[in-house]
Amino acid sequence: MVELQNVSVTYSSGVDALNNVSLKINDGDFAFVVGSSGAGKSTMIKLLLKEIDATSGVVKVNGYNLNKLKKRKIPEFRRTLGFVFQDFRLIPSMTVYENIAFVLRVLDAPQKYIRKRVPYVISLVGLESKASSYPEELSGGEQQRVAIARALVNDPQLIIADEPTGNIDPELSYEIVELLKLINDQGTTILMVTHEHSLVRHFGGRIINITDGEVSYDEVIMGSGNELLPIGNGFGEMPQYEPPTDESSPIYDDPYIDDILASIMDSAPAETIEIDEEGGAE
Amino acid sequence: MKLSGIRYLTNQGIENIWKNKMMAFATFCVLLISLLLVGCAGLFYINMNSMIRGLGNQNEIAVYLSPSTSQERVQEVESQLNMLDNVNSVVFIPKEEAFRRMQSQITQQGQEIFQYIDDAQFMPDGFSVIVMNNDKIEETTALIMQIESVESASSYPQVAEFLRELRRVVTLIASAVIIALSAVSMIMISNTTKASVYARREEIQIMKYVGATNTFIRTPFFVEGMVTGFFAGAGAFFITLAVYNSVYDILMEQRTLMNAFGVGSIIPFESIINYTAVTYLIIGSVVGALGSSVSTHRHLDV
Repeated sequence: MVELQNVSVTYSSGVDALNNVSLKINDGDFAFVVGSSGAGKSTMIKLLLKEIDATSGVVKVNGYNLNKLKKRKIPEFRRTLGFVFQDFRLIPSMTVYENIAFVLRVLDAPQKYIRKRVPYVISLVGLESKASSYPEELSGGEQQRVAIARALVNDPQLIIADEPTGNIDPELSYEIVELLKLINDQGTTILMVTHEHSLVRHFGGRIINITDGEVSYDEVIMGSGNELLPIGNGFGEMPQYEPPTDESSPIYDDPYIDDILASIMDSAPAETIEIDEEGGAE
Repeated sequence: MKLSGIRYLTNQGIENIWKNKMMAFATFCVLLISLLLVGCAGLFYINMNSMIRGLGNQNEIAVYLSPSTSQERVQEVESQLNMLDNVNSVVFIPKEEAFRRMQSQITQQGQEIFQYIDDAQFMPDGFSVIVMNNDKIEETTALIMQIESVESASSYPQVAEFLRELRRVVTLIASAVIIALSAVSMIMISNTTKASVYARREEIQIMKYVGATNTFIRTPFFVEGMVTGFFAGAGAFFITLAVYNSVYDILMEQRTLMNAFGVGSIIPFESIINYTAVTYLIIGSVVGALGSSVSTHRHLDV
């Protein structure tokens, strides 16, 4: 679970990156964090990774109160998380197998367990034939799948994905999010930062929009692609989608969400979602 | 941490040398050069010290008796010498010994003359008198000259004093040079290991993100630095061995000249081989290991 209570972050330069942010992501949730560049998404990620500390407010992740977390306890805390980054961040000198196994070695897991667990996770992301390849020998999509396998291998409660589709082909982006959705179906909480409207539009779900360091929108919307497609089969034409028409929804108050909705409007509507009184999708 | 974990980290450190061979080679070269610089300066100092010591400790007065002195008189003179205040020890040098010493100090051409002389009778008996206080050596020499049957007594107080001063200056200069070279070496090693670690800063950050402790991250770097340093130490040792022996052979050809000046001999490498090898290997390993693991510090704060 992730909980931010009135969190503000002001950098030493005087820039207010986050301003009195409060939000709660429950266990098993899948949430998109969206926002324009400089809105405060990266700051939020840094906060959740305990890379930086909040200037004020309370940050709780996986039962750890990060405000009170001692430096020597940070490794222990991070072992409860999985990370997926835009630039993959695989160790170039290690093979796919070793990159994934490394997480378990950090946990001092028995060799026997590593030998069983790592091939299993590699098979989950469909890279059995690439286990002994080095990252540079893989495509962007494959590298990101390795990163997801690495994030998954220690069975974390929460996976934080920071623009995981930012460095890969658009068609592979769906595949990556599908993979994260599948992981989420198994009960792992996923927090995915993205600026790709099409993905948000396609998958829907909880959308947290950050504007100028504040949560300007936090609602659940239904995606246009309402069926999970098998990984590796391609996604073909997306199901048609009809955008919401309730102009009073807070979704219309934010320019960034406007962009997303505008792109939704562009596609020919075929399906209707209803937004409830509280702004959530039904 | 389990034994398998320690084995894994050690293996990682060794594997990393090969995986990052260019940076490992750069570190190896810098360590090798640094060790050679400091090592050669150290060995040069040790030898200079040894050579000067041969002269600087010239607190000896060479006493020669007249050739006609009887054995009884020789014993009396020895007693008289021992009674002098400033005398520490008196060693009798019979004419045969004096003859042998003279032969060993004479050049090759001079040796040819000696092949026609096989009798030491023309040499006088003598004494080697070691004084306690070098400052009073002139005074003591004068007193010895007054003893009956003493033909000559000679000492070189000014030379001895000059050489002592020279030794002090050489020690000072050598110490300064060794300290300066050590400092330069440390900067070179530090910069190289920093560059080596900097090239892998992302790797360190990734390790931090997946929850690796600082010790877990540092250990392979420590092992890597230690192994690289060890091989640099071994390389420096073998280079030193080859160069030292070559220089030693050249200088030994000039031994008679050096003896003529009264300087002590160059220390043979065999007598310092263990000391040199152990020093190179330990310093190489320690500096390599520390340089590498300390350089990771600034990248660990993620």
